Order: sequence, then structure tokens, then C-alpha cells
Amino acid sequence: MRKILLIVKREYLAAVRTVGFAIGLVVAPLLFGGGFIAVKLLEGQVDTADKRVAVVDYTGRLSAALVEAAARRNAGEVYEAGTKNKIKPAYLLEPVSPLAADPALLRLQLSERVRRRELHAFLEIEAGVVHPRRDSAQARIAYYAPNAAINEVRSWLRAQINEELRRLRLADAGIDPVTIPDLFDWMPVEGLGLLSQDQATGEVGEAQRVSEAQSIGIPLIMGFLMVLMMMMGAAPLLNAVTEEKSQRIAEVLLGAVKPFEFMLGKVLGGVSVSLTGSVVYLLISLVATISAGAAGVMPFAVVPWFFVYMILAILMVGAIMAALGAACNDARDVQSLTFPAIVPILLPTFIMIPVLGEPNSTFAVLASLFPLFSPILMLVRLSVPGGIPAWQPWAALIGMIAFALLLVWAGGRVFRVGILLQGQPPRLREIMRWAVRG
Amino acid sequence: MNDHVIAMHHVTKTFGQQVAVDDLSLLVPAQSIYGFIGPNGSGKTTTMRMIMNILYPDRGAISVFGRSVFGRPPDEIGYLPEERGLYKKMKVRELLAFLGGLKSNRNVAREVDDWLARLQLAACANQKLETLSKGMSQKVQFIAAVVTRPPLLVLDEPFTGLDPVNADVIRQAILELRAQGTTVMLSTHDMAVAENMCDYICMIFRGRKVLDGTLDSIQSAYGHDTVRLRCEAGLSALHDLPGVMMVQDFGQLQELQLARDCDPQMILKTIIARTAVQSFELARPSLHAIFVRIAGPEAQEVGRA
Repeated sequence: MRKILLIVKREYLAAVRTVGFAIGLVVAPLLFGGGFIAVKLLEGQVDTADKRVAVVDYTGRLSAALVEAAARRNAGEVYEAGTKNKIKPAYLLEPVSPLAADPALLRLQLSERVRRRELHAFLEIEAGVVHPRRDSAQARIAYYAPNAAINEVRSWLRAQINEELRRLRLADAGIDPVTIPDLFDWMPVEGLGLLSQDQATGEVGEAQRVSEAQSIGIPLIMGFLMVLMMMMGAAPLLNAVTEEKSQRIAEVLLGAVKPFEFMLGKVLGGVSVSLTGSVVYLLISLVATISAGAAGVMPFAVVPWFFVYMILAILMVGAIMAALGAACNDARDVQSLTFPAIVPILLPTFIMIPVLGEPNSTFAVLASLFPLFSPILMLVRLSVPGGIPAWQPWAALIGMIAFALLLVWAGGRVFRVGILLQGQPPRLREIMRWAVRG
Repeated sequence: MNDHVIAMHHVTKTFGQQVAVDDLSLLVPAQSIYGFIGPNGSGKTTTMRMIMNILYPDRGAISVFGRSVFGRPPDEIGYLPEERGLYKKMKVRELLAFLGGLKSNRNVAREVDDWLARLQLAACANQKLETLSKGMSQKVQFIAAVVTRPPLLVLDEPFTGLDPVNADVIRQAILELRAQGTTVMLSTHDMAVAENMCDYICMIFRGRKVLDGTLDSIQSAYGHDTVRLRCEAGLSALHDLPGVMMVQDFGQLQELQLARDCDPQMILKTIIARTAVQSFELARPSLHAIFVRIAGPEAQEVGRA
């Protein structure tokens, strides 16, 4: 035991003292939340150059309203209220008379103007759009731009045009829209948890309001944190063990400790590294949520589960990694085994989203009870508001403990055979044989 | 205490189809330097790994200090593996404290510093291993094997890769440890090391023991069947000598192996008739010659036939 602890201590210091560890702590969440953070950062960095759009309106009834809507928007939204800083581009709509030329030629001319950058885009509204069911042959609205697929101006125009079209249709039916001001008001549907009665007082509590952050954000963050910790604590063992084997460090240690102690020391070293990482993240998020006055979103009930599951996850995956690492001879062998080795991390990561959508489906229950997937999937399900049957996290825990013991035992056998065997490329079948026969 | 520190009885180890060690028995007497020789691939390293309980024998028993090695950490054996490897990113003193800690409960910091000073490494104590030369890191590895003062040392090729100065330093250290009561088993390719240092010599060849005993007893077994000769004409004067089984040419010196019933005086007369003889010495075969007789190309052919 003393020897295992010495190895754990060395592994821990070797991992934590490196600059890479600190950088990894910062960079990893950026990679995971990268898209989200990038969007948030870039939001402030919008291009504020004005966007001029030509409007060819064959109905003759829409362009005036659109110009007016653009003017309203430009007056209200383009400049920041207090500072008069320009924060958004103004939309300048330029009605083009549809009678000037035949439609194809006009489209070509306007395309040329867009290419010359005189225009940002041009809009063509066909004559039948007000009553598309009657004039279906001429009921198209087309937005022509160099990159028309994703375009803020287009989505803004769509909303304005449809608003105006509804008004026109009402007017054509002889109804004055002003008489029904809330005709187009959109009502949201609020997500709430279930009610429960207080056993002591008999009072019925208010239903908890379930925000998107809680029902999707928190479980996702917990799931990805687990993935991150497995990547940080267990995945590096594959390379590390192969390196110690190829640099002949392994034999020096084997002169002092049993192969099993050696392997367990390395795996527990991984556990200690990921404990450090997760405690750091936990403290940061605690400080962040408290200072934001939102400590309530922290899933405190799930945190103990997280730590227990994480330790077992690193034991299971770490044992696999160490055993496979011992079977490899060099970096090339490692490369060929990297993919099968990280399947226990990758697969549940992919399943995470469907499980989150239907946390109590048969599929979600079964997948989260599979010991290798439990750390991620059961944790995600635990974090979903509304809860899951109380026996399931315990069942997963028992399954994981049993599986971790099995994997550490089998991994130890593979490790013992593999660590001194030179020059034989690792084959999964062979490795399984070592695990069974020792 | 038992007189024999290491006792191996009928040990066999196979890797797949290949027999690495074949029914090997040996006894290493206490406080001796026991030299382990043999050509490459003859099973020396495998034997040492089995003594260290790193590999397990298929058959046979190994005991160290009278107790079976199986299932027990070899804390009382200092081990220098043939293939050297150390954590490159660790500092010398840190690494030695770590490896020493794995072997013994004590704090070995003082011994580490003593040894570093003794092997002229004190200046690098706080350097990382990756900054050291090959010879220096080999000395560090030697310290790792001896720092906990184990009563038995198993050293696999302790002198390869060392320059003469460093080899002398290590040799001196081994001899001092022996004088203090340590038993040393070492393997070597260098016959001079085996002849000059070792109290007992064991040679294995293709996994089997072919020589075992003191240098004296081994040489006696071969008798005074060797002539060391210097003559003016050199090798060219030595063809077709009756009763000479083999001539080994060292350039300035030739070694003749005589048949059992051959009279050395007759040989001398024949050679004097051909050229001027500068020296003629009747001797026992050197360990080198014995090694070559057993494991040389000719012997290998006989072995295969």
C-alpha cells in the first residue's frame, strides 16, 4: 500500500506540476463550450456597415411598408441608447420600379450592382404573394445575395414582410386590423416541475419553474465535466504506460513493486489528477454562481454522485488504458489502439443528447445502467430536473464498483504480461487472452 | 543464515515455442561476486528477471535468503536492469529518493547524497535526468540499485557503456559493498571482468548451464592444454603442427590449444626449427578461450549437428 501511494504521489506531481496541466484546465472547457463562447464573444463584434437592399415589389403594396419598418428600426436600434455609439448596421431599403425592364434583365442588373458592392442584396416580391393559394404560380419572395443562406437581413425582412402580408390579407377581407390589436400576439408555453405536498404542514408548494438552463444546461455541463475528467485522468495513461515501457523505466520499477501495484498506482494517480481538476472547476462555478446571485442553479444534490462516479469512471477506463498501454511498444501501436480505448468515453458522449431528451425512456435507463456508460449517462439523468427512480443511481453504482474491480483485476493481468513483452504488436484478441489466462 | 543467498532448482522458462532457460540450477554463495556469462540470448537476463520475481518460471523453484521469491516484493535485492531507463523529467535527487522509497521504509536522503558525492554526481543532484550524459545517468541508475543497502545485488551488465574511469568507479563501489557483506550477482560480456572480479563464474549457453565454479576449478577442468607464443614469423609459422587442435591469433600473440596427449616440448622444437621464438608459455586456457570453445562458431555447429 505504501508503495502504491508513493507511485500515486509521483504520478500526481508529475502531472500537476507541468505547465500543460494548468493550460489544460483553462483550455479544455473552452474547447467544449468553444462554439457557445465564440458566439457570445463575436456578438459584440458585429459589422456595423450599413446594408443597402434593393426591393423589387411586383405587388406594389409591400415596399412602402418595408421602407417604413426599416426607418423605424434604424431610428430605434442602430445606436446605443445612452452613448450614441453605433452598435448595429442600418438597413437602407431602395425600392426599384419593376416596370423598368423585363424581370430577368432586372435581376441581372441588380446582381451586377451587388457584385460592385453598391448593394448588399436585392429582394424580389412576386405579384401573388398576398394571396398565395390563389396565385400559387406567382407567389415567391426571393432574396438574392452573395451568401443568401445565413443572413440577418433576410430573417429581419421575412418577419416584416409576413407581418405586413397578414395585415393586407385582413384588409382584403374587409377587416380593419386595428380593431383586433392582439390578433398576432404570440403566447409562450411555460415549463414547470411537478407539485408536491409538504408532509408536515400539508401545504402545497409552488411548482418550480424549469428554465432551459436547468433542464438542459446543467445536465450537459455535468456530463461534459465527466467526459473532461475522464480525458484528463484516464486517457493519458495509454501513452504514459507505453512510454515507460519503451523507455525501459517499467523494469526499474518492477524491480521494486509488483506489476499490479505499479498499474494501480498509475490509475490512482489519474484519479487524483481528475479530483484536482474537478474541485477547481467546482469552486470556480460556485464562486461564479454565488457572485451572480444564482447559487440556486448549482445542482448540490448531484455533486456527491459526481465525485463517486468520477472515481469509479477513472478506475474503469484507467485500467483499460493502462492495460492497453502496456501491450503497446511505441507511439504507432498506441495510435492504432487509441480509438478502441476511448470508445467508453466517446459513445456515451454521443448518446448524451438523446438521453437528455427522454431521460426515462427504456433506452436511456438501459444505457445508463451499463457500467462503462453510467458515469456520464446516469449523471446526466440525475441532473435532469424531475428526477429518476431512486434505485437507479444506486444500481449503477453497484454495477460500476463490480465492473471496476473486474477491469482493474483483468487490466493488472494484461499489464503484467504486456509490460515486459517487446516487439510484439498488440492485438485485441491476444490481449483478451492475457486477461483471461493471466 | 543459509550459506547460499540465491538457490535455483531445475528452473525452466519458455516463451511460446522458445526455451529461454532450460532446467537451470545454481547456487550463489553468500558474500561472493558471482559472474554470469554467456553469449547474447542465452538466457542471462531472463534468469535475473526470474530472481527479481518479474518473470515467473514455468517449472522449478527459486529462493533468495532461504525463502521462495514468488509473491513477495524483492525489497532485499538491488536490481540494475540491462536496459536502462529513468524518468527524464525528474531531478536526480528526487528520482533516487522515490526509487529508494519504493524499496525501503527508511528515508534514504542521506544515502542518496553520500552516493552522489561518491560517484562525482553531487553537482547534478538538482538537475533533471534529461540533462545528464549517458554515463552519468548510468551511474544514477547504479545508485538506485544500491542506495537502500540491499544485502543482495543483481546487476545486469553493469559496465557496458561506461568509459574506463567510470567503470573503475563502479567496480570499486561493488568491491567495497562486497567487503561490507553484500552478495553480488552480475552478468557480463567482458571476460576480463569475470576473470578479475568474480569469485564464482557461471556460464549458460542456450538456456543451459555449461560452466559453474571458481575460475580456478573451471580452468583446472581444462588442464594445462594451452600454449601462449610469440615468435618472429607470427601465424605463418604455425601451420600443420601435429597435436595442435586450434590456433587463435591475437596479432602479436598466438594461443594454441593442444590435444590431450600432445607433448608441448615437441611443439616447441618444431616451431624453433621454423622461426625464432620470443616467448613460449605453457598455461591453462583463459576464460575467453573457454568461452569461445563452448560458444564459438565451431562449437555452435557441433551443437546443431
